[in-house]
Amino acid sequence: MLLEVRDLHVEFRARDGIARAVNGVSYAVDEGETLAVLGESGSGKSVTAQAVMGILDMPPGRITGGEILFQGRDLLRMKEEERRELRGARMAMIFQDALSALNPVLSVGEQLGELFTVHRGMSRKAARARAVELMDRVRIPGAAQRVRDYPHQFSGGMRQRIMIAMALALEPALVIADEPTTALDVTVQAQVMDLLAELQREYRMGLVLITHDLGVVADVADRIAVMYAGRIVESAPVHDIYKAPAHPYTRGLLDSIPRLDLKGQELYAIKGLPPNLTRVPAGCSFHPRCPMARDVCRAEVPPLYEVSEDRGSACHFWRECLDGDER
Amino acid sequence: MATSGEPVLEVSGLVKHYPLTRGVLFKKQIGAVRAVDGVDFTLGRGETLGIVGESGCGKSTVAKLLCNLERPTAGSIRFKGEDITRLSGRALKAVRRNIQMVFQDPYSSLNPRMTVGDIVGEPYEIHPEAAPKGDRRRRVRDLLDVVGLDPDFVNRYPHQFSGGQRQRIGIARGLALRPEVIVADEPVSALDVSVQAQVINLLDRLQTEFELSYVFIAHDLSIVRHISDRVGVMYLGRIVEIGRDAEIYEHPTHPYTQALLSAVPVPDPDARQDRERIILSGDVPSPTDIPSGCRFRTRCWKARERCAVEVPLLAVPASFEEGPAAHDSACHFAEEKRVVPPESTQANGNGPG
Repeated sequence: MLLEVRDLHVEFRARDGIARAVNGVSYAVDEGETLAVLGESGSGKSVTAQAVMGILDMPPGRITGGEILFQGRDLLRMKEEERRELRGARMAMIFQDALSALNPVLSVGEQLGELFTVHRGMSRKAARARAVELMDRVRIPGAAQRVRDYPHQFSGGMRQRIMIAMALALEPALVIADEPTTALDVTVQAQVMDLLAELQREYRMGLVLITHDLGVVADVADRIAVMYAGRIVESAPVHDIYKAPAHPYTRGLLDSIPRLDLKGQELYAIKGLPPNLTRVPAGCSFHPRCPMARDVCRAEVPPLYEVSEDRGSACHFWRECLDGDER
Repeated sequence: MATSGEPVLEVSGLVKHYPLTRGVLFKKQIGAVRAVDGVDFTLGRGETLGIVGESGCGKSTVAKLLCNLERPTAGSIRFKGEDITRLSGRALKAVRRNIQMVFQDPYSSLNPRMTVGDIVGEPYEIHPEAAPKGDRRRRVRDLLDVVGLDPDFVNRYPHQFSGGQRQRIGIARGLALRPEVIVADEPVSALDVSVQAQVINLLDRLQTEFELSYVFIAHDLSIVRHISDRVGVMYLGRIVEIGRDAEIYEHPTHPYTQALLSAVPVPDPDARQDRERIILSGDVPSPTDIPSGCRFRTRCWKARERCAVEVPLLAVPASFEEGPAAHDSACHFAEEKRVVPPESTQANGNGPG
């Protein structure tokens, strides 16, 4: 396994108490595989990724338990220098907002080239040549001229390509993309996702795609982990989950997508709001919003039940949900 | 919802150019941002017109023009036959009561120092004739109730609410003056997925309850389809295709609409293989430097010489005499092409729900 997150716990000290942003998350990604981590804001999907990358702000954040195994070694036990060597070279991250992730006072050529001078000890001239190659690779027109331009001189889609180029420059084994296309228009989103998928196939890297968009997930993912209030509530191969979700939250998300045959009717809406992380409901954290909730849901935290060999659901009544007649 | 009688809004030749100037003392105009560059449409009573397009296409500027927050450079907006762009003073104020706006960002469109009661009741300060003073408190509570908020929240502040609740506050404010038209500019795009459906349902219910007509602006094509009777597709300041929702989604004839629809990810992994995607090359040109002829030609795979010379008009293409493909489309080489897979895969028993 390329990356294995095991029972990760992350807390934040907030004004009104301790926010358990990540509350026992486990997932795994293999080489060449795409895992989509799906969740709403506050579900803990980005915090988990930041913990994996080692870029979590601590304090206020604190990792209170768990392991993150990268190619078999626990990242949480490594020295900061070791992690710094891995970061960029073996594992890389693509952020949502390229404009704030890139340095505004360095040309994109300098930022791309820096990877090669720092990690590979190349000369500045050779590094610049590699930067041009990379920009070409992510299909930036006129790369040789544009290598001297600054981030603000590029459009949003082009900036995202530069971030992808930066992430892939040293051919990492693992790439984490945090909402890489959320800020982009649909036609540009299609271009960027296409490029990312193509490069992933080529380099056989493991990709963790963090998103809230069920459409994007269906397009590119092999597996999905659905997160809610700091926990994984369902984990399954992509085809299974869209056919028959085994958790009422997943079912609710899928049902609230507008569908042609239901036009003119009311959309299915999950009632209520995601919980405040300092006051997560007892038992199953989804129970106040769940149409299937019963007494046991208010009392007992559901474990991740084994639905099938490669599928899990954290719902006491996953069987009922899977059969899908109750809502 | 069905359309009846004459339109509530008639927009024709609408243009908004923002001048680009140089110099401090002697300002010289050196160009213009052609944000809206000739837009025509009508909105029937009780109808929902969806407007879709990517960022920079001018859809939000159209919204501002409709609500008279901006004055157009040219063109007219008729509300029940009266051109509101020529009104001023008292007459303008009266018309504004009837066209209200719901904004995209519920975080920045509510004053953080005002209570919810003051925010929702503020329209009555500006239009005191709409409600007698003693009655306002009660009306505000009623409005909160209508949008699904606890009326006892009147004394709370916006920061005490979630995004979805704030959007309900914005909607309550929009309803306060009992308008006939609501212009909603990306009303759900800032909300979490599980909350979006709640707000869409609310807007749907209010439309019936208050006999509202909507101009619904968004970039999410599936939500627009769900709520709209007709849909207009904008590109670089113009509507390139407009028609009933099924005409646009199932029988698009403009290449831009086809590319836009094909780019939308479909929430069905089984559709991955049999989908044809049209990936456009390049970016949208700058609205300060719009291509000659057809403005889409720089990204269009069908472009020929004629497209660079002759501006295509928004009309039913001559090649389609009848049927669902016969709707307004601004393309010289309009051709029907179905890009969204038929919903059979979702409508059969395998789909969720």
